[in-house]
Amino acid sequence: MVTQGFRYQFHVMWACACKDFRVALTDRLFTILGLFVPANVLILMSLFVLSGSQAPTAVVMQESGPYARAFYQAMSQAHSFRLQVSSPAQAEQLIAAGRIVAVVTIPADFDDRVKNSQPVQVRVEINNLNTDFTNDIRRAIPLSITSFYAKAFPNLVSVTVRETDLYPRDTDYLPYLSVSILVIALMMGGTLQAGTASAREWEKETIKELLLSPASRLAIMLGKMLGALLVGLGATVIVLVVLVLLLGVVPAHWLETAGATLLSLLIFNSLGTLLGTLIKRRMPVVALTMSLSLPLFFISGAFGPISFTTPLLQHIARLFPVYYQIVVMQHAFHNFNLNTLGLAGNLLVLCAFALGLILLVTWHSNIAT
Amino acid sequence: MDKKANNPILEFFLAARVIMTKDLQVWLRQPVMLVATIAPALVLLLVEMLAAQAVGRSPVALVIQDGGLQGARMAQAIQDADVFRIQQVDANKAQTLLKNLDVVAVVTIPADFSQRLRAHQPAVVDVTVNNLNLDFTNDIRRAVPDAITRYYAAQGDQSPILIHMEEHDLRQHDIQMFQYAVLPVVLLVLTISGLISGGNATAREWESATVKELLLAPVPGGAIVAGKVLAGFLTSFALGGLVLMAAYGLGWIYPQGIYWLDALLVVGLTSLLGASLGVAIGAALQHIMPVIAVSVNLAFYLFFLAGGMGVLAFEPVWLQNIAAFLPLTYGNHALQMALFYNSADLLGRDVLVLGISSLVALVLGTLAVRRGMAK
Repeated sequence: MVTQGFRYQFHVMWACACKDFRVALTDRLFTILGLFVPANVLILMSLFVLSGSQAPTAVVMQESGPYARAFYQAMSQAHSFRLQVSSPAQAEQLIAAGRIVAVVTIPADFDDRVKNSQPVQVRVEINNLNTDFTNDIRRAIPLSITSFYAKAFPNLVSVTVRETDLYPRDTDYLPYLSVSILVIALMMGGTLQAGTASAREWEKETIKELLLSPASRLAIMLGKMLGALLVGLGATVIVLVVLVLLLGVVPAHWLETAGATLLSLLIFNSLGTLLGTLIKRRMPVVALTMSLSLPLFFISGAFGPISFTTPLLQHIARLFPVYYQIVVMQHAFHNFNLNTLGLAGNLLVLCAFALGLILLVTWHSNIAT
Repeated sequence: MDKKANNPILEFFLAARVIMTKDLQVWLRQPVMLVATIAPALVLLLVEMLAAQAVGRSPVALVIQDGGLQGARMAQAIQDADVFRIQQVDANKAQTLLKNLDVVAVVTIPADFSQRLRAHQPAVVDVTVNNLNLDFTNDIRRAVPDAITRYYAAQGDQSPILIHMEEHDLRQHDIQMFQYAVLPVVLLVLTISGLISGGNATAREWESATVKELLLAPVPGGAIVAGKVLAGFLTSFALGGLVLMAAYGLGWIYPQGIYWLDALLVVGLTSLLGASLGVAIGAALQHIMPVIAVSVNLAFYLFFLAGGMGVLAFEPVWLQNIAAFLPLTYGNHALQMALFYNSADLLGRDVLVLGISSLVALVLGTLAVRRGMAK
């Protein structure tokens, strides 16, 4: 009897999933766009990190002696500049056109003055558009000066930095951020598919038939989530192909990646189903899902551990599953531990989110009648 | 009545006004859409403002093992650098903080620091950095030498460093990062709002089959397009104006006198561009769901490619070249000039590009509606 009941519920679930999958296929344009939304998000947000924090800077070398060249060398190793040697006229033209953000002029008497221990002024013209970037330059020039002295006159400037890194290799912006972007892309794709599928039932008033049927609400809702998950898997494959083949970001643990991806889809499908049943209209569901993802991306530790940000943002981030998903995904791809909960702790929190959302969806569909 | 019938221009405007009013009333009946359009941008602004407080000021543990004068001076230079959020702790606590990811790095002034400097021997400042992300790692790599530079600069005439930076800024004042982010977000609001309200209002006519009534009505097709574009324009313009007023109230932008007009002109043209494109997309797709999907995708592409999340000058050249073809790039530039620097630098160029783009979008919208009605 129990087995038969379970079989029946499973049958209901599967039927709902197949129905939603077929309906998604009839709304071709929307489904195609939905499938490519995560990949679009990944590509667009990756554009943001292409620039990194290297300030495009023109260096006007009015002196070509060994000290001037050593100073240029120090600038190039300051982790701050994308240097190009230019004439004064070219440099002015570039900064006026907004192509570069600073012009550094090494004066004609640079070598003589340095050799004779006389003061030297290095003129730095800055397009001070934004303090984040401007301050990088304001710090990087003195850094170049000090490192120039440390190499050229080690007896004069004897204080240096001895760096020890926790990881054997640095991780560049793109490999790090693209993993965080993957989570947001999954969020958009998963919530969108499930949210529209769920809201469509209310919009087309077919929810009546579903709620009046003798099937359990849990089975119906799980079926809808499963349908969205099947469609979402297509988007996931596309986005993973872009990540691995196009951006060259390969997971350190493939199984963990697959598990985290499925868990993420389950959470976002549940969230989408909940949004769809609450809002009951596809249009606001789509608009809300697509546009709220960007703020969530920012607060959930996409750029680094949230413990490096302000306490208020840390508290807000912990309220959303996206934060824990980013932590798990960064571990799966780069073996990083971004909080003290450990992999099991983060997975447990995510499972709690998934369960909570499924219960909420079922409860809401129960009280809907 | 007769006058109206005999005056085609009056008839055109009357029809456009009626359609505009109807679309505005429908729009006002959808508060969720209104929230969905404006809330993300406002939340994004708030988040950027909060995040900006942490940008460039990484949390660092400072361990001072040296009790000498030079060690104290070095520690002071690190404190004064204002690039760290410092916790001064002992070595054990510092390791715990680093392990728990409470700090990006541990900076240690070793016990023999002063002694080595007195003996004219090389002295090191030890830095253990959690290099999981190049963004934070490079901040530390820049900031610690910056503190060393300050240490030497504090020696005044005794400093061995004689090369100094002579800074010349192109702008009168610096703009904070979150302030800088306000303007692209305003443009994002305008574009999304225009695209969605224009597209939605147009596609709805086909989806609910009310396009029949419009087709049968004795009004020119241009009036229908004008009415729909005007409704989208007004909603977007009002939203953009509200966000600008909020930014002004919070002291994030500082326009004066005539530069308010420059800003409003740019806001108006961008709203017109968004609404016209929205009508074109709505008439072409004739279904609300695809319209929304295309509109949001398009708005985000325009936002990102026009340098919405950074500074265009920092982007690769190929990206800068793409941005040169996007009208939002010019809108952003014009707003920056008017609202931050009270300048009309290249305003003519920016307005011309936005104006031509809006006109092209309007023509596209008209053609799409006519084509849709002819089917």
